[in-house]
Amino acid sequence: MAVIRVSHIGKRFGKLKALDDVEFKVDKGEFFGLFGPNGAGKTTLTRILTGQLTQDSGEGETMGVPFNDGLGIKRKVGIVPEAETPPTFLTAQEFLELVCRLRELKNITKRVDRWLEFFEIEEKRDVLCRDLSRGQRQKIMLASAFIHEPELLLLDEPFINLDPIYQRKVREFLAQHVKKGRTIFMCSHILEVAEKLCTRMAIIKKGKIVALGSLDEIRSTKDERLEDIFMRLVGSGD
Amino acid sequence: MALDFDLHLFKTMFKEELRLHKSFVGGVGSAFFPVVIFFFSLVLAITSPVVMKNLSKDTMLLVLHVSALMYGLSVGALGAIGEQVMTRRLGQVNMLLQLPQLHPISFRKIMATFYVKDLLFYILYSIIPLVGGIAIAAPLAKVPFTSVGLLGITLFLTFLLGMSLSFVLSALAVRSRPAAAAVGLLVLALVLMVWPVGYLTAGQILPPLGYWMYKDPLYLLVTLVLALVLSAAAILFTKERFESKQGVYKSMLLPMEKRFSFAGGLRLLVAKEWVELRRSGTMGAVVTGFLGPLFAVYILAWFFRTGMGLPISFNVVFYGGMVGFLGVMTYSWITNLEPNEFMNVQPVTVDQVIKAKLVIYFLLTSAVSYAYVIVIGFINGELGLLPLALLVAASTTVYVAGVTARLTGLWTNTMLFDYRILGKFFGAIVPPLFFVMVLSSYIKTAPALSMTLLVVESLGMLAVSWFVFKSVTTRWKKEHFAFATLTSGSGAQG
Repeated sequence: MAVIRVSHIGKRFGKLKALDDVEFKVDKGEFFGLFGPNGAGKTTLTRILTGQLTQDSGEGETMGVPFNDGLGIKRKVGIVPEAETPPTFLTAQEFLELVCRLRELKNITKRVDRWLEFFEIEEKRDVLCRDLSRGQRQKIMLASAFIHEPELLLLDEPFINLDPIYQRKVREFLAQHVKKGRTIFMCSHILEVAEKLCTRMAIIKKGKIVALGSLDEIRSTKDERLEDIFMRLVGSGD
Repeated sequence: MALDFDLHLFKTMFKEELRLHKSFVGGVGSAFFPVVIFFFSLVLAITSPVVMKNLSKDTMLLVLHVSALMYGLSVGALGAIGEQVMTRRLGQVNMLLQLPQLHPISFRKIMATFYVKDLLFYILYSIIPLVGGIAIAAPLAKVPFTSVGLLGITLFLTFLLGMSLSFVLSALAVRSRPAAAAVGLLVLALVLMVWPVGYLTAGQILPPLGYWMYKDPLYLLVTLVLALVLSAAAILFTKERFESKQGVYKSMLLPMEKRFSFAGGLRLLVAKEWVELRRSGTMGAVVTGFLGPLFAVYILAWFFRTGMGLPISFNVVFYGGMVGFLGVMTYSWITNLEPNEFMNVQPVTVDQVIKAKLVIYFLLTSAVSYAYVIVIGFINGELGLLPLALLVAASTTVYVAGVTARLTGLWTNTMLFDYRILGKFFGAIVPPLFFVMVLSSYIKTAPALSMTLLVVESLGMLAVSWFVFKSVTTRWKKEHFAFATLTSGSGAQG
């Protein structure tokens, strides 16, 4: 069963063609990776999938909700955006409480404590998000996406600003998440991590999907690594 | 030394300002803003001999120069921006102002360049179009072009004086609030020496006006020197390093949500806005920003009546109308609090946040507004007019807040730079305000008719407001919290 279905999506920003006839689907239980060079269209596509941006052409749905119903999509999924921008004047605890209340969750205290503990930032619970380090802010953004245990997680560079210990911890959590039958859609530049985690992937270049399938399916030789595939398909930079 | 000038940096900053402006209101909107100012001043200048036939040339000059000073004061508080830029993030907007964080350039130099850039921007965008409009109308008003040219110079110098004073006060406040308060009190003392004490003249404390009063070019030179000294002092007072203190607070979001239960489905967002308003230190600015103009309107009317002996008499109903119309600035402050971009990934829509901000707006302004109207009713001895004045105050407040929210959403400060939005805003706001002013002035001579019409107008505004508030949802529900960024097409790629 497809949890994400993208059909002939196109998007322009003025003269720039950001996405060009993009088409793919992600099935339930998959760990799907979207890779591409800077400016290839990954964030634009993620924003369309999560109802944050409207496509110019094509259609599709996330968790059975059409892309134009952003509110409906956001209710059903967890999203980590590219930039870690928790609210300036709320504390870490208050931000997570706000997310719980917006999502009408029960056991708020238990959930907030669990994720502050997971990321070992309990002692920062009363600190304004403005005054947290970038890594701590990223942890808070991850916690806010995980806190309602959604069926589908859409993550844009989830490992950014995390130290190796927490990269590993988050990686293990994500692997467990998929094992439970849930789905992950992830954009990342950390290819060695993605190679270990992703069951299927797409490579995007200048707004067009240039490769789609499992790692084995898009390999040209048996031993080719994801980084080599990436360099072969987009490495020339033009 | 920080005061050397880098032309390349200046040009780059100016380009940045134009692009930032364009990103908020679009290319056409950006280009048309000075055109709107030009036509606005042209129409005012053409009609001024008729509309202001009771005012002397001295009074008109006073009003123009005080307005230019206030404008300069309102845009010059760059010291406060400095602290914000160096210690906080500006949502998705990164600016050249942040260069000193990583690059070998002093913050003083950046601020000095930013100040000159801002000055040129405001001259091109508002002072020149304003004077241009007056110049075109000059032959009709039988004013010589040389006088218009001189007026342009004195208005520019007044604006510069206001901007430099504001800059030095804000830069000083970052170092020492008591010192800034002392300078502020000194300026206030000078104003009081003019009026009501009468020891000094307005021209002696506002030299560009002094030029018109005494026809002595020395006043222009004094202004220029004073502005340069104040600007240089502001740059020297600018701090190079900002230590950001860690804000630690016990969680108060959920208790606040309970307290705001009367707001129904909006209570959580209202609580969030309230907490942010308190923590950001904006609460005082919002209330003062509302009280200040209200106080200024009363003082101005009193000044016309008592100080200058002009036969202008505003009754309590007029003040009731002004209360509502001055609320735009307060709503703008509230929308400037937080970029809210994190909301893009949460199940919440822009219109819900707008409504929460409106609840905060009414909470903050209602008590102050009604108290203001009641106090003026007592002072003027017009208790009989109070029910009507309160009705007018309530209806204008609701109407103006609704129109502002509908047209500008969460981006009031930037959207009003778009000539289309500004045009619609004036079209929706000015006619009702005009009728309130005219009808209130007829209460003495034709009480029954004018009061009946005021009741009808107030009820009409309330009825229209109902539709306007409903349309806030349809207009903003589908928009994104990064509206200003996304509509420009930047920042959405990756």
